[in-house]
Amino acid sequence: MIPFAFYLFAILITGLFLVTVMSKNVLYAMTSLAAGMVLISGLFFILGADFLGVVQLIVYVGAVMAVYAFAMMFFDVTRDVEERHDKPWLVFLLGGGIAVTLVVIFAAPIMGETVHALYPPVAGATNPQAVGLVLFTKYLLPFEVASVMLLVAMIAGIILAGKKMEISLSAMDEDMIADTKEHA
Amino acid sequence: MSLEHFKNRNVGTQNYRMLDLDPTPVTGWGQFKQVVRRSLSLELLVGLKVTLREMLKALLFGKMHTTKYPFEKLPIGPRYRAIHEMKRLLESGHYRCIGCGLCEKICPADAIRMDTHYGENQRKEVSEYTINFGRCIFCGYCAEVCPELAIVHGGRYETASEQRASFSLFEDMLTPIDQLKSQREFPGYGSVSVNADTNIKKTPLAY
Amino acid sequence: MMEVTYLGIIIKAILILAIISAIAGFGTYIERKVLAFMQRRLGPMHVGPYGLLQIAADGIKLFTKEDFIPQNANKLMFMVAPVITAATAFIALSAVPVFPDFTIFGIFVPSIAADVNIGILFVLGMMAAGLYGPLLAGMSQANKWGIIGAARTAAQFISYEVVTGLSLLAPIMMVGSLSLIDFNHYNETHPWMVFMQPVAFVLFLIAGFAETNRTPFDLLENEAEIIAGYATEYSGMRWGMFFIGEYANMITVSVLASIIFLGGYTDLWFIPGWLAIILKIAFMFFLMLWVRASWPHVRPDQFMWLAWKVLMPLAVINVVITGIVIMV
Repeated sequence: MIPFAFYLFAILITGLFLVTVMSKNVLYAMTSLAAGMVLISGLFFILGADFLGVVQLIVYVGAVMAVYAFAMMFFDVTRDVEERHDKPWLVFLLGGGIAVTLVVIFAAPIMGETVHALYPPVAGATNPQAVGLVLFTKYLLPFEVASVMLLVAMIAGIILAGKKMEISLSAMDEDMIADTKEHA
Repeated sequence: MSLEHFKNRNVGTQNYRMLDLDPTPVTGWGQFKQVVRRSLSLELLVGLKVTLREMLKALLFGKMHTTKYPFEKLPIGPRYRAIHEMKRLLESGHYRCIGCGLCEKICPADAIRMDTHYGENQRKEVSEYTINFGRCIFCGYCAEVCPELAIVHGGRYETASEQRASFSLFEDMLTPIDQLKSQREFPGYGSVSVNADTNIKKTPLAY
Repeated sequence: MMEVTYLGIIIKAILILAIISAIAGFGTYIERKVLAFMQRRLGPMHVGPYGLLQIAADGIKLFTKEDFIPQNANKLMFMVAPVITAATAFIALSAVPVFPDFTIFGIFVPSIAADVNIGILFVLGMMAAGLYGPLLAGMSQANKWGIIGAARTAAQFISYEVVTGLSLLAPIMMVGSLSLIDFNHYNETHPWMVFMQPVAFVLFLIAGFAETNRTPFDLLENEAEIIAGYATEYSGMRWGMFFIGEYANMITVSVLASIIFLGGYTDLWFIPGWLAIILKIAFMFFLMLWVRASWPHVRPDQFMWLAWKVLMPLAVINVVITGIVIMV
């Protein structure tokens, strides 16, 4: 049952991401990317990592892709995108190189004999608890650093977006808009 | 509410009540205070209370507003101006219209068309009389101008029909001869006033 | 505890699909009746006794209507979008326990179709994925009202997912589990969560209204401003699928609120558990209609203001206070 599910998901994910890369239509690309993200969470569920699966669902499908979609509002999605390919061989070389490197990185532990889990799962702990145990013991420092980094990014975003927030262009007439442009 | 009360437009004499609204806060702190006060005093729940009260009124005390229209109809005013009626003389049963053409002349929408000829007894008779209800604006001038109270407005306001001609022919608007007894006078413009009998002391011929 | 078999889960899944889609259809009738009574009208009266067969009439109308696809629309996406809404709504229900466990024909039927130990998160995640229905519908139909509706979908769902998640975090901390069954067991031994976490309850209600696109916050298809938003070009059963999805989501939120905050399917005084949860869900459903009859729409900018400047800070403060109380 589980190998069947794995191969089903793997084929579907690969196919959908191929559509993302190949399609000339923005809407198809976005939708297949989102659908692929949903199916990746299916892979997590097969592995028994329920928590990560749901996080994949909420973060990538619910938030990241929705922000992409928000950016898509500024394009005419009914029209096809014309892509420029100046040096197709370079794209092929770089993309293929990255793909091969990734395969080697992830295949190496399977080939190796001496690899073993440093922090084996705690017996009796459910999946979210196990994630929490690892996160707040071994990876506490990276976790906190990441959170501080996100906080910095958030504050920076607010400041960037909030600059000149009290000025409303729609409430000004054209002379005043020209004045503000000169001063800037 | 009585009609007099309703028609009283002298602002200030009615039972108006000033809402004790606070001035709109301008500062951030004032807005914050207003939000907190309104949230904690549960002003939102007042709306919920009102709708629930109305629902209970409707369900438990039968105070529904709905009139099931095709099955029950609201009474209309006696001077309501809907599809025209042609009246008959009560004594002879002959139609009242003398073919004077005043209604055709005054009609601002040019909806009325009539044709007359001399009958057998050298009396003017109506040979054709139609009202184009695609044009009629139901202003009531025709009923007002009619010297014989022959054309009046009726109470038939459901004017949907398969053909416009269905209620624009003279025969259709004429009171059926077998219902002559129940013919009612129209109390609108141009009609004889209710106390006409007491107002007229002598017949006009006596002058 | 009897063994959970595949057959039992299949029975449960069929039950959920059949009952919820029937209730979703019936919900339209209830909604029209309740709104009518609150305005002292009669509501649907003519099809069947008290208009009860109005659902059948509506269904016939929806099925026989022309399935209209605009000329410049992206046809595939236009056709797929309503299915996404309906499907995600029902998938979310698969991780929600509705009735207590029971046995039928000797087959044990569990209270929950898929008892994943991260139940709440799964439901929230699936409801978050549900945003693709309105979003793709609005973007694919080559209609400016649709685009505005889609933009509002993205903004509204992202913002209010944050509020839902943070408001549920405090109850999750108190129970110490993400499984909805654990929430139910917690309510057996403790007073209802709504008395211990009133702030979280109010926040969850507000965010739930926003995520199910119900009236004070139904900006995605606010007919006074943007015709019908993402559903402008839809007709017939495709539009009906959006509707079924919305009602299924309403039921999901009602069930979540009942289980997490209102005691779930534990026995209440003399009322057996299955009846108690039906009453609670019915009350939550009625509350949504009640609010729709009472309150006006919110302006979109006020709505975003509410999410980020009021509800999210309140939720975070609530989580911090809960954490301090648990630690002490």
